[in-house]
Amino acid sequence: MSLWVDKHRPRDLMKLDYHKDQALRLKNLVQQSDFPHLLVYGPSGAGKKTRIMCLLRELYGSGAERLRQETMHFTTPSNKKIEIMTVSSNYHIEVNPTDVGIHDRVVIMDLVKNVAQTHQIDSSGQREFKVVILNEVDDLTKDAQHALRRTMEKYVTTCRLILIANSISRVIPAIRSRCLTIRVPAPTETEIASVLHAVCKKEGLSLPSELAMRIAKCADRNLRRALLMCESCKVQQYPFTPDQKVPEPDWQIYIRDTASLALSEQSPKKLGEVRQKLYELIIHGIPPDIIFAGLLKELVRNCDMAMKCQVANHAAQFEHRMRLGNKPIFHLEAFVAKFMAIYKKFVEESLGDAF
Amino acid sequence: MGDYPDPDEEYELMYSDELDLLRDMDENSDSNPVRKKLLPAKRSLDFSSPIANKIPVVNETCNTNAPSNEHVSISLTPSLTALDDVLSPNVSNKRTVEDLFGDINDIDFDNIQLPSKRQKTEEESDMELIDKIIESRKLRQILAEPTSRGIADSGPDYDINENLTTNVPTWPFMSFTTWNGDRVYVRLECEDLWEKSLDAVTNQLSLKTTYASVWAEARKILETKKQQQETPNDSEEIITNKNVNELWVEKYKPKSYVDLLSDEPVNRTVLHWLHLWDKVVFKKDVKTKEPHQRNAFSKRTGQFQLSNKWKGKKEDEPELDDDGRPHHKVVLLCGPPGVGKTTLAHLLAKLAGYRPVELNASDERSTEAFQTALQSATLMQSVLDRERRPNCLVLDEIDGAPIQTVELLVKWCTTSVKKEEGKKKNKTQPLKRPVIAICNDLYATSLRPLRACALVVAVRGAGAARVCARLRRVARAEGVRVSARALAALGARAGGDVRAALQLLAFLEGRFDGTINIEDVENAAIGTRDNTTSMMQALQAIFTINDNNPNSILKTIQAAGEYDRIIEGIFENYLAARVDSRLLIACETTSWLRLYDAINTWIQRNQNYSMYSFLPLCIARCHGLLASRQTTKVKFPLQAQETSRRRAELESAVCGVRAARADVSRLALRLDLLPLLPYVLSPALRSANVQLCSESERKSLRTCAGAMCDYGLRYTQQRTLEGLYAFVLEPDIYKVAFFGTEERIRPPPAIRQAIAREQQLEVIRRNENMMNRMGNKTQSSEVKQKTDKRAANRDAAQLPNHLQRLQPKVIEKKTTTQVHKDFFGRIVPISQVHKQDAVSDVISSSDVFYQYREGFNNAVRRNVRLRDLL
Repeated sequence: MSLWVDKHRPRDLMKLDYHKDQALRLKNLVQQSDFPHLLVYGPSGAGKKTRIMCLLRELYGSGAERLRQETMHFTTPSNKKIEIMTVSSNYHIEVNPTDVGIHDRVVIMDLVKNVAQTHQIDSSGQREFKVVILNEVDDLTKDAQHALRRTMEKYVTTCRLILIANSISRVIPAIRSRCLTIRVPAPTETEIASVLHAVCKKEGLSLPSELAMRIAKCADRNLRRALLMCESCKVQQYPFTPDQKVPEPDWQIYIRDTASLALSEQSPKKLGEVRQKLYELIIHGIPPDIIFAGLLKELVRNCDMAMKCQVANHAAQFEHRMRLGNKPIFHLEAFVAKFMAIYKKFVEESLGDAF
Repeated sequence: MGDYPDPDEEYELMYSDELDLLRDMDENSDSNPVRKKLLPAKRSLDFSSPIANKIPVVNETCNTNAPSNEHVSISLTPSLTALDDVLSPNVSNKRTVEDLFGDINDIDFDNIQLPSKRQKTEEESDMELIDKIIESRKLRQILAEPTSRGIADSGPDYDINENLTTNVPTWPFMSFTTWNGDRVYVRLECEDLWEKSLDAVTNQLSLKTTYASVWAEARKILETKKQQQETPNDSEEIITNKNVNELWVEKYKPKSYVDLLSDEPVNRTVLHWLHLWDKVVFKKDVKTKEPHQRNAFSKRTGQFQLSNKWKGKKEDEPELDDDGRPHHKVVLLCGPPGVGKTTLAHLLAKLAGYRPVELNASDERSTEAFQTALQSATLMQSVLDRERRPNCLVLDEIDGAPIQTVELLVKWCTTSVKKEEGKKKNKTQPLKRPVIAICNDLYATSLRPLRACALVVAVRGAGAARVCARLRRVARAEGVRVSARALAALGARAGGDVRAALQLLAFLEGRFDGTINIEDVENAAIGTRDNTTSMMQALQAIFTINDNNPNSILKTIQAAGEYDRIIEGIFENYLAARVDSRLLIACETTSWLRLYDAINTWIQRNQNYSMYSFLPLCIARCHGLLASRQTTKVKFPLQAQETSRRRAELESAVCGVRAARADVSRLALRLDLLPLLPYVLSPALRSANVQLCSESERKSLRTCAGAMCDYGLRYTQQRTLEGLYAFVLEPDIYKVAFFGTEERIRPPPAIRQAIAREQQLEVIRRNENMMNRMGNKTQSSEVKQKTDKRAANRDAAQLPNHLQRLQPKVIEKKTTTQVHKDFFGRIVPISQVHKQDAVSDVISSSDVFYQYREGFNNAVRRNVRLRDLL
């Protein structure tokens, strides 16, 4: 593990850098012999997975860190063969059911049952249950979520589930009520800066605090991104200077460009150019809701308060509609068109007032 | 005729049966009133089919059986017989005696069954002379009395029995057994003979006749026409005793070029293309005449350039390739059903002197079957054909064929002669016969490879007026009274589909016994079909205002189906459709698109099609917003496909990374890790030589290599287009991470090489670590075992079961003494061998050895430890 993100990941609950009281509570939870199913949620890069791995270590000792990758095969009812990557130790198995798209229900049913139905033979000094970690639960199809809820109750003695999600709004209430929900908030910028300092100290580097703050700001309260940014800063130019360029993910820059294109001129021709950019973003696999958010953030900068509300309202509507459909480009372009129309009207009106 | 009586009589005796049969057939086929329209297009007729106009070189047998034949035909349908010969598609009935018997003689010579060659050839020359005399006589006769012209057609001068017998023939043969056990013998011919027969055919094809015959014909046609006008009632009555067994569609099929209902440019293009094959197919004798002909043709097409676009576009391309074959080996006719594509193909092939061989969807079209069909059609020739015409393959309904089949066809088309010259009997021989492919849907996926190399000709339906005219003619011929309005309604209803119109007419005729009114047509529910419009037509309709029928858009959309494609088409074209400076139309349109998307997704998710009928409404609303009078060029929607293709490409790169790191979620990988990883992967090194780098640089290189190992990346050497080897990252995360600006961040090639090397070392190091860890474990267990063993020795094999370990079996090195042999195979004593190898032994016994090369080196010297190298 040579990237800082991997290398300096805390291994022990007590060594976590922030949310320490939560860590303490988790530790207490584990020390009681039993613990319920968990639903861990929070924004990306907040440290959900780190906490879960610490928890597993607390539960099972260092054996839980010896990971191996396997490919498991399943057959859908329609006789389609699907395969999915799993990461497992002797005590747990981790899987990302959304990898197989709409067949996630099959994976959940087969895998969870498979794990849950095998009892531990020698339970002395061991926990009686295994742990199944499911990633990106909020992206599971409704079918899969419903398949989950019965299995969760049925096999509670032999298997605990830890579900990871970005937001629980798309997790069905039935599952939410069966789990202990743990929210892992994103670290604040100062927390990120202190983590960066700590890491740099371990690496034997000196990090100016201005640069640390700038990186923290850029990283959008995402610790993973902050650490990667810091490391790439280091690769680009080592003795750090406070005003050195912080590399940003290219897609963020691209979304900003797209927004400024929409602001520069409002015409069908420009809309066509914006569409090409949106297509490019979709091709690179940037989730459309993130594109929406990025665009909105950039676009409202040039608006007055009333228009801000209007634009945000439309953005929310269009994003909601996008989730109902499956052609995100229509909705993205519709939003840009709507914004252009509003903006143009606004500009023309203000020009009219000036004269 | 008495000059040469013997073969004549013989012939009559031998084939009297067939003659009778043929006469009957002639009578049946004579009653085709459609041909009456022939007259005006005289000029194009003689351009298109020289065969039809030439004066027959009459076989002597013709004269003998002519009078009777004439009587029969004239008595039946006096007004039509005269036309028949001009129009009849069976092309060349004039075959000289030489053609008839000469080939047999040739074969006989091969078998040396006939005594003298000389004698025969003399005879032949005599026959030629006779022939010429007859010919000229005949010509004069025709000029004198044009009505006797009809004779020529009826004489069958090339007969099946020449090539097919039930007795063992004297000529070379191949035997077949029929279903009832009879043995049939078919003539085998040598290739020279085939060539000869081809020559014969081409002779017939050339325009060697004088204009006199044409004039005579014209006069005759005029005459008959006049006659017909005088007695319209008579002809109707005569024809009413019609042949009920035949479908009208078959009965009134176009029998000549002028009967074709398809557009003139289309006909001409295909015919011209067919004539381009003349050089390859009928190669030998046409050489002098062929250029003239071809020039004439190209001049004509030049005239037609304005009316047909595809010709004008490809004007700069040479029409013939190096082998003398046309540039496009295949012509692809496409168009809606019923417009007469198959008829066109068959008729034109016949006119150009070919024998059409059809292969349609009812035949098996697997690759093997297709291969054999293609071979047999293009490389062989039927011995049963009367005129020995070369084949022309007509591939009907090719859009239903499997894609492999089409690919095979394309392969055939693209192999040129040159490649094949070395090996004569290659498996894929170049195509030497024209192939006409027919399809309905030009954009079928299976046709994609063919479209590129074929001459695509779109056959459109004839206009309603022309369909009407044709229907009227048919109706008159059949004696059905149809009002003009009813006919117009019929024609309009068919929408270019002549076949459907004819069938409807036949149906109505059967129902209403001879008179059809407009009400009948309107009320006949049976003739309407769901008009399928193509997606592109619908798209075009959406973007144009239809003044005639403003409400038809919904029907058009529903007829086209493929709503998804249409919506994509609208999405890709709406911005240019109308002037929309305030983007209000854009907002409105997108709102409908969004609604469509929402409904469509709902339908698909719930598999509930009750909402399906709302989809075309959304599209129709877009029409209301976007339609304009100016003609907008609608583009075919491709972007969605392209997007998904490129997306899948990048997706595979991400999957490649995930295969190594399954514990990182896809989104985190996409948004955080991959976009920033390239910065870490391009360490700033001052020089590519790692030995010269500073400690920190080396450390960053190490980090880079480690990160690459972690995320399953590696550099592979690939040959670039310039022939240089370049290091390429695999999977290429730069493409995922950057939007077209990835090149600037990529490390320079030299550094890439250094990284690649470091990465390989890192892999080795990691493996070693792993081994060590395992080794430590086994070592410690070994120590334990040793202590155990001591204890075990004391307690004399009292080990509890769980403590017993299986011992790995030690692999013993085989110490077979090698026997050395000297050059002559004698065994050399070992001591001697050792003495010989003594020097090298020191080197080869150790694992590591150094080789010192003398030379001069300016490099900086430094101490190198072995572990640095590893």
